[in-house]
Amino acid sequence: MLRFTPTAWAKLLFLRDLGETEIGGFGILAKDDLLLVEDIELVTQSCTWVHVEFDDVAVAEFFERQVVAGRRPEEFARIWIHTHPGRSAEPSGTDEATFQRVFGRSDWAIMFILARGGESYARLRYNVGPSMDAILPVEIEYGWDFGASDHVAWHAEYEANIRTPGPEPADATLTKQASCVFSPHEQDHDHGWFDAWHEYADFDRSLEEAEHGFIRDF
Amino acid sequence: MKVLFINNDGGGFADYVELEEGTTLGQLSDSKMHGAKASNYLIRVDSRPAARDQVLQEGNRVSMTPTKIEGANASLLLAA
Repeated sequence: MLRFTPTAWAKLLFLRDLGETEIGGFGILAKDDLLLVEDIELVTQSCTWVHVEFDDVAVAEFFERQVVAGRRPEEFARIWIHTHPGRSAEPSGTDEATFQRVFGRSDWAIMFILARGGESYARLRYNVGPSMDAILPVEIEYGWDFGASDHVAWHAEYEANIRTPGPEPADATLTKQASCVFSPHEQDHDHGWFDAWHEYADFDRSLEEAEHGFIRDF
Repeated sequence: MKVLFINNDGGGFADYVELEEGTTLGQLSDSKMHGAKASNYLIRVDSRPAARDQVLQEGNRVSMTPTKIEGANASLLLAA
């Protein structure tokens, strides 16, 4: 079972919900319990609604910083954590390719995904001997001492590391909402697009009288 | 001479290794990263990119860290 301290879990939820994009990082594990995540550390990364990519130099600096802090690689480089903005935490082909390419030469590694809708996915892979994969249940570990939240520091870490593209055109939001209709994981659950469409199509309500006539806000 | 070597392959490594004087970065990476694809790693010496033929010095910190760690959301990609 993969466990998170309440503080680590709170930080992950905070970071997941701070923006609208995917975000990712590494889990920092307890020295004497390599299935207990004590912290989540971000590295500089480019993020969009559907994609996250770590900066290679930032990853190198993260490794070097952790080693200087006295940690072994198995304590900081074995749990790859990222979020999905939708409801599904199922790994994509890109996720699987990264897990194989980046973590496939380590003795073991875990891919952990947390979706905005609350679903999570944790898979442990052993790469030694008869290699194997195992889906792990996830729990919050309340039995250990844990620290308080620190939204100011977490926000600063987010601001320092998350690079997002500039603002999209005004109508992109509607396009994005509408496109969710075709998501196989979301079409049965999310009806927000339907309301958005009605609002969009409601000519009478959206007509506004302006100085030189009527305008419509698309 | 000793250099600090950092890598996540196998059991993970973050310790000093003993090398012959005159050992190059390429020789170290070949011995430690057997079978690995070079493009999957960023190799730095004392936090700077380095060439394969760079001769290592006592006390150098050599890190070989993964590149292009990326994730995507399949359901949203299908919808985009």
